[in-house]
Amino acid sequence: MDDKDKGRRDFLYTVATGMGVAGAATAAVPFVRSMQPAADTMAASTTEFDLASLSPGELKVIEWRGQPVFVLHRTPEMIKEIRGHNQMLKDPQSRAIPEVQAVWMKSEAQRIDRSIRPEYLVISAVCTHLGCVPTFKPTPGQKDWGNSVPSDWPGGWHCECHGSYYDLSGRVIKGSPAPYNLHAIPYKYLHDATVLIG
Amino acid sequence: MRQTVMTVTRPIVFVAILVCAVLSTKIASAVEATSSLKQAHINLDKKTINKGLQVFTDVCMGCHSARYLTYHDLMDYPMFGLTRKEAQDLSGGQPLTAAMMSSLPPEAAKQSFGVAPPDLSIIAKAREGKGDYIYSLLTGYGHDPKGNIPDGNYNEYFPGHRIAMPDPLGWLNRDASDTDSLKEQARDVASFLVYISDPHQIERHAIGKWVMIFLVVLTLVFYLLKRAVWKDVKH
Amino acid sequence: MIERMLNTRLAGWIDERTNAVSFIRYHLIDYPTPKSLNYWWAFGSIALVILIIQIVTGLFLAMNYKASTVATGGGFTVAFDSVERIMRDVNYGWLIRYMHAVGASSFFFVIYLHMARGIYYGSYKGPREVLWLIGVALFLIMQSTVFFGYLLPWGQLSYWGATVITNIFGATPVIGPWLTELVRGGFSVGDPTLTRFFALHFLFPLVLFAIVILHVLALHKTHSNNPTGVEQKSKKSVIPFHPYYTVKDLFGIGVFLIIFAYFVFYNPTGFGYFMETDNFSPANPLHTPGDISPVWYLTPWYEILRMIPSKTGGILALNLAFILLFLLPWLDRSPVRAATYRPVFRQMVWLFFVAILVMGYCGHHPVTPVYNLIGRIAGGVYFGFFLLLPFVHKFENPKPLPEEEGA
Repeated sequence: MDDKDKGRRDFLYTVATGMGVAGAATAAVPFVRSMQPAADTMAASTTEFDLASLSPGELKVIEWRGQPVFVLHRTPEMIKEIRGHNQMLKDPQSRAIPEVQAVWMKSEAQRIDRSIRPEYLVISAVCTHLGCVPTFKPTPGQKDWGNSVPSDWPGGWHCECHGSYYDLSGRVIKGSPAPYNLHAIPYKYLHDATVLIG
Repeated sequence: MRQTVMTVTRPIVFVAILVCAVLSTKIASAVEATSSLKQAHINLDKKTINKGLQVFTDVCMGCHSARYLTYHDLMDYPMFGLTRKEAQDLSGGQPLTAAMMSSLPPEAAKQSFGVAPPDLSIIAKAREGKGDYIYSLLTGYGHDPKGNIPDGNYNEYFPGHRIAMPDPLGWLNRDASDTDSLKEQARDVASFLVYISDPHQIERHAIGKWVMIFLVVLTLVFYLLKRAVWKDVKH
Repeated sequence: MIERMLNTRLAGWIDERTNAVSFIRYHLIDYPTPKSLNYWWAFGSIALVILIIQIVTGLFLAMNYKASTVATGGGFTVAFDSVERIMRDVNYGWLIRYMHAVGASSFFFVIYLHMARGIYYGSYKGPREVLWLIGVALFLIMQSTVFFGYLLPWGQLSYWGATVITNIFGATPVIGPWLTELVRGGFSVGDPTLTRFFALHFLFPLVLFAIVILHVLALHKTHSNNPTGVEQKSKKSVIPFHPYYTVKDLFGIGVFLIIFAYFVFYNPTGFGYFMETDNFSPANPLHTPGDISPVWYLTPWYEILRMIPSKTGGILALNLAFILLFLLPWLDRSPVRAATYRPVFRQMVWLFFVAILVMGYCGHHPVTPVYNLIGRIAGGVYFGFFLLLPFVHKFENPKPLPEEEGA
């Protein structure tokens, strides 16, 4: 076989191998995609919630993608309460890990309120220590809660499993075994009184 | 070369005769069944399918369900493209993940019609003639020439001619001026049913085009490579 | 490039401990193959590609399929629903399912051509008898695999096809009814039948793969036949498998993939032959569909079963049909291999192939006097072929055989 033929043969080998590998890689894509969540799983992955069903100060725990979520209608007092105790918090601006941030956290106020609008908090109810659902203890001080909360309690959640504390924006308080703020979750307003979670 | 042609042509002729024989049976059997079907001119575009969805929800869902089509699918599938609000309005308070089920209990239907109305999710795949059959059926209500089957149960295209489903579009007693609009409704709902029986068919054809082009080029490369490698071998 | 990989130190280390490199080198690269093989020899490698496609697509289907006949309303079941979920909700599920359905029909189409090559060119004759026996065994395992698989969608034909075929076991003398109940796991085809058929359908292709390896090892021991039927022993008449037959087989595989892709993307139901219309209706144990016939690739064997008027007779005839296939190397006494050089055998072989096609055609249709008659004549030709074979060499005048290629 002369050099010209060899050259042509080698070129064809390279093209055939290249196209073959590209074809095989492309063929693998549908199989990998088929293992990702299917359309029915994705359809069930959003939960709608009617905010009008919450009276001021009321908390509801609902299910989203199989997990518990807190939806809290915050009173003006509660909203005032979450400003001014930054020194108590581990991560007041929710910067520690991606999961405590959300795509909708655009302004400083939203980073403090940890919600799109201050009146309604929609936050993960899974304690970032080991996964329990913390107990709601909204009023500040020890009057309603006794020794279960510290004397400078600003109001928020107390996880009874291992003693972590969160404020009324779900931000973790120093001294808690939990490392991070309650995780933020994606949601949006469909109209004034309804949110779509997920 | 002649040797190759000789060894290759006879089997090819053989296979060709075979394919013709098989296809002729397919045509033959299609003719055997009642009359040969009308041409539905199925159109799988957004407008027709949405008009068909309207016919389905207005007329068919009175008795028939589509258990594999959910209200959420009406938002997801590109040929529907409904907004969340539109889908919620159609669902009448049910969650969007609910299937489009008829409110007629199957037992009651069986009492009235003698047979439970079949689910329509894959009816277009489950009947010979597919979309053309559905169209023909909907526009096939007539008078029994033999006078045995009463009006409303005689259908030219239903095997055996006696159908339990009463004329859903009102074909039999139509005015001459209604004919075109009824034909359009029949075509629209037939297109809708063909679409929901295989919602990914449009994507399938689109991907298929690229796959075929790639494979033809690849096979050509393989052929040239084979010729190049075998060049010096006497064979 | 492959040479470079096999010559690395790592390859040497592995080879010292397993013989893997020498194995690959002999069986995939150096294996001496006759120069004169035509494209009828490409079907073996194409069949292997299809087997791999079936196993991969089958695995991914199994990730979403549910083998349960629990009712979900309107005659539908969990199993039927899970298949529709794959078609609609699983990402690219429709593609995987269509590939698997088209693949099943393709597998049989290619294997029938592969077997035809074996019969026409006398590849079954000594010293390749064991190769042939393994091949026929593979064919029977394929038939079982497809029988188990067809029940899984739990459509009308799935259910009634399984009912008819498992009923046939009942005609076995003495143990018949016991055997039928054993296979079904109940008094009729039901949930236990479905779950065990799923398990068996998953297992059998892997068994198939293992026996295919034995098939190739048996081939490599005796070396390949060729279109002349004359053993190619001299160095001038053989070439190494790589690169010559690797590139030729790649071309064959390319042509196959084009046809395969056409059906998967543009005609997955294959004109109603790959995926039958009636099977899109959910199984109804109280109503048998109009004509039940098996999928096209099983129709010739179904016709053999039906052509004998007695149930037991039918089973015996079907068993005999396969036993005769196994016995082929010993029934044919001619020392000449290829039909090209055997004028009488050649006519018989073509008639034999046509008879199988005719039986398939009849088997697809309901039993009428006309189809019955034609089917029986074709059956007569099928059995006649084997019964006549031992005598053919006595009166046949073979054409002069060519010299060894390249000599």
